[in-house]
Amino acid sequence: MAQAQKRGPGFYLLAAFFTLFVIFLYGPMLMIFVLSFQGTTGGLTFPMRGVSVHWFGDLLTSTRYGDLGGGLTRSILLGLLALVLTTVISLFAGLAFRRRFVGAGPLFYLSIISLVVPGILLGLGISQMFQILGLRLSWLTSGLVAHLTWTLPFGLLIMFAVLNRFDTSWEEAARDAGARAWATLRLVTIPILFPGLIAVALFGFTLSYDEMPRTLLTVGGRNTLPIEISNMTMTVTTPALYAIGTLTSALSFAVIAISFIGIAVIQKRRERRAED
Amino acid sequence: MSGRSSGGGSRLVPYLQVAPLALFTIAFVGIPIATLFALSFWQTDGISIYREFTLENYREMFTSGLTYRLFYTTIKFALITLAATTVIGFTCSYFLVFHVRSLKMQIALLLVCTIPFWTSNVIRMISWIPFLGREGLFNRVIISLGLTREPLDFLLYSEFAVVLTYIHLYTLFMIVPIFNSMAKINPNVIEAARDAGASGWQILTTIIIPLSRTGIALGAIFVVTLVMGDFFVARVMSGGQAASVVSAMKNQIDNLFYPQAAAMAILLIVVVALLVSAILRVVDIRSELAK
Amino acid sequence: MTAKKKSSGISRRKFLKSTAAATGAAAGSGVLGAPMIWAQNIRDLTISWTGPSFSVISDIAEKASEDLGFRITTQVMESVNLMPRIVNQPETLEIVDMEYWALAKVWRSGNYQAIDPRRIDNWDKITPVLKDGKNFDGTDMTRQGILPYKVLYVDSPDATDFASGATDIATSVPLIFNADTLGIRPDLIGRPIESYAELFNPEFKGKVALVNVPGTGILDAANAFEALGEITYADKGNMTRDEIDFTINRLIELKRDGQFRAFWVSFDESVNLMASGEVVIQSMWAPAVTAVKARGIPCVYQGMKEGYRAWGDGTGIMKHLDGLKLDAAYEFMNWQLSGWHGAFIGRQGYYSSIPENAHEFMTDNEWGYWYEGQPATEDILDPYGTVMDQAGASRDGGSFQDRIGNISVWNTVMDEERYMVQRWNEFISA
Repeated sequence: MAQAQKRGPGFYLLAAFFTLFVIFLYGPMLMIFVLSFQGTTGGLTFPMRGVSVHWFGDLLTSTRYGDLGGGLTRSILLGLLALVLTTVISLFAGLAFRRRFVGAGPLFYLSIISLVVPGILLGLGISQMFQILGLRLSWLTSGLVAHLTWTLPFGLLIMFAVLNRFDTSWEEAARDAGARAWATLRLVTIPILFPGLIAVALFGFTLSYDEMPRTLLTVGGRNTLPIEISNMTMTVTTPALYAIGTLTSALSFAVIAISFIGIAVIQKRRERRAED
Repeated sequence: MSGRSSGGGSRLVPYLQVAPLALFTIAFVGIPIATLFALSFWQTDGISIYREFTLENYREMFTSGLTYRLFYTTIKFALITLAATTVIGFTCSYFLVFHVRSLKMQIALLLVCTIPFWTSNVIRMISWIPFLGREGLFNRVIISLGLTREPLDFLLYSEFAVVLTYIHLYTLFMIVPIFNSMAKINPNVIEAARDAGASGWQILTTIIIPLSRTGIALGAIFVVTLVMGDFFVARVMSGGQAASVVSAMKNQIDNLFYPQAAAMAILLIVVVALLVSAILRVVDIRSELAK
Repeated sequence: MTAKKKSSGISRRKFLKSTAAATGAAAGSGVLGAPMIWAQNIRDLTISWTGPSFSVISDIAEKASEDLGFRITTQVMESVNLMPRIVNQPETLEIVDMEYWALAKVWRSGNYQAIDPRRIDNWDKITPVLKDGKNFDGTDMTRQGILPYKVLYVDSPDATDFASGATDIATSVPLIFNADTLGIRPDLIGRPIESYAELFNPEFKGKVALVNVPGTGILDAANAFEALGEITYADKGNMTRDEIDFTINRLIELKRDGQFRAFWVSFDESVNLMASGEVVIQSMWAPAVTAVKARGIPCVYQGMKEGYRAWGDGTGIMKHLDGLKLDAAYEFMNWQLSGWHGAFIGRQGYYSSIPENAHEFMTDNEWGYWYEGQPATEDILDPYGTVMDQAGASRDGGSFQDRIGNISVWNTVMDEERYMVQRWNEFISA
């Protein structure tokens, strides 16, 4: 059939286009990576004055870089929490939206609006709500809430995209075979949706990790990483900034890689058990 | 098989499923926005807010030419970005779905696209300068290749730079939904069309594009809302030359003029809601979902 | 070191007198009882210090914690992000550093606690520039803009308006100040620059940048227009609508003519613009000039004959502080004035409100360079050990007296602020 087809010219053209696009995406990141190895007298732009790991060392030893360690920890924690909550809440909400229910339209629009409202204003509103309720503002409570207002709409929309592709006849088959709703969900729906859920999880983490405007007024007494970095841009003009970029990317990469490896291991184990 | 949508289960199920999202959104988005709405009718002296009703904020906003100019610029950015990201996103998704063989490879390539986003946004903004500046890498490359003699000025601190950055940031949000929609297309349909003698172009326009429209619509919603709500990119990449709606709002907020900023925010919300409903009129996502 | 110890001893004495816990304890005698209990309690205390990045520095907090015995935690927040917190979330703040133009705005929220200058040991030593609003020769300083003096005193602890002269109730403790001006690339310009008017010189078309902060950018522009003789302002720091209109309309003209290359918001943007040569004259902050010079690129923080644009920062405390925390706050503020802090920020180019205390902690070389405008005898290092300037070089603009003695306007918040911001937005989007 189509398997042994030779790759037409279309393939190469498209592949080239895709490659160019990826290079475009990686451009800034490459800049950051290369320039973080800037020589000791170099600046934030080219030319490279030598190559060194001086700035990494400076970053880790000097105290002029504020509370990057603390900010990093808080941002990663928030990111993981946002990841979990966004995935779960978006999954169920997405499933719900397949049916008609009262208020579906307004809720959808409200989620869209959450994306549009300037983060600074929404952050102000959320902080005032917390204060009226008498709750203390902190990065883990009000900060998390602010992050979720950003990640949940994304999660919801991506679930729409994912569910659009989902063939409900699998669920019906399971139901006809006698499976109860919860079992259907666990054994049929979620495994099939799994790649989509990964996408939601990824977005949830990344969006929270990078978020700043909503966080500014809801963060309480300690800063998250983006705020600390932004403070740095007010005082630091050394390639140490790029070293920060490289390190934080490497770290989030590690966090996500570990999560995925963990999931892959669980998957493999589940598959093996299913085969028995 | 019955033609029911995801039927089965009691009628209460969707309410239970959507409850967490609904409760959260109403509480932490709905109420703050209602507050914003109220705020836009109040007065301030730059410190305290006086809860006296006034239409002054709106009057000022609507009679100022600045408002229209800001919205014009921002909508222009949004539409250009939308066009570019749709084309690029569609092409890349097409490549991934129809030309990449294994699912694993597809997901791997998608992941490859997301990795750059794990660099801090703030730092990424700074890194455009060594890339696009007069002395930046790009200019050096094209000069050394002999393509131009003078460095290209407009690459940075211009509207071009702003749109370029938007495309860089938001194309991924086009790729993911379109990818999902395309992957759902039954390859047999395409086979059949090809057997019936349809040309590649015809297959594209009569089968693939229509069947991907949900993905395109979702991506469009992402792109439009994100560009309309942005202030950071517009300010930094234009070198402060172009103002977007929200960056002007930020100046007001920095000086604690909340009611004026709130009025502008409400107008922004209304405009974006209109844009999104226009998109939804073309593609009714909700009914697509129910299939 | 001696000076500092003495001051904290005195404040403890004052504290003991005022609290019931003091039972016949002699002045700092170390007798078992009250001083020990107080010392023990305060050792467990943690207090937060929030403010902009040029002042709230973790090294400083660490040293203070060491010297004082209790823990000071830091949170860096720029003024614009801190202002709404002071107004809306004062309970999340304790000790707050704030620029004076911003203080002018947020004091009225009523969330600050008035300060008793008598509890500040070194209050009288604070430079008259900040404390009395006077020049070094005793004459009154320019009143253009928000002079710290204007917003330093209030008539009563709950007053939301400022007193017209010195009283014995203060809003804050002045801490840091400096004189800002334009930065230039002398090598690309090739001739001496003396006046703000050069900012709008057609010779530099397309190579000029302004800071995109409405309150500051407009002052640089105003200095330029005044220097060109196009207008004389009654108070550049508090323009009337007509003056604002004139300024902005002229700016829009210049923008359309292509005079400006960019408007920068963040510090590193200004450094890059200058270092890469995209711009040859622009609004600039002192550390940015140093950063450009550190890359081996000539850059001068050029004092203009019309004068500098000055700004100040002061420490304040939130109303909800009381008891032990309040005392700790006063201890800290006293410590800030005692010299170590002043020397630290002095090495970044900022002036301390009590220069002579800072002097005790600076080397003669540093003092000579930063304050006296003398050529450096050895390399000048920044607080983290990086070389800021070479031996033999002098500070741009000269001595403390040269620079602070020639201030044309202070960073400001105008009465017509709303209108100004709106028109500034128009200018930026023109």
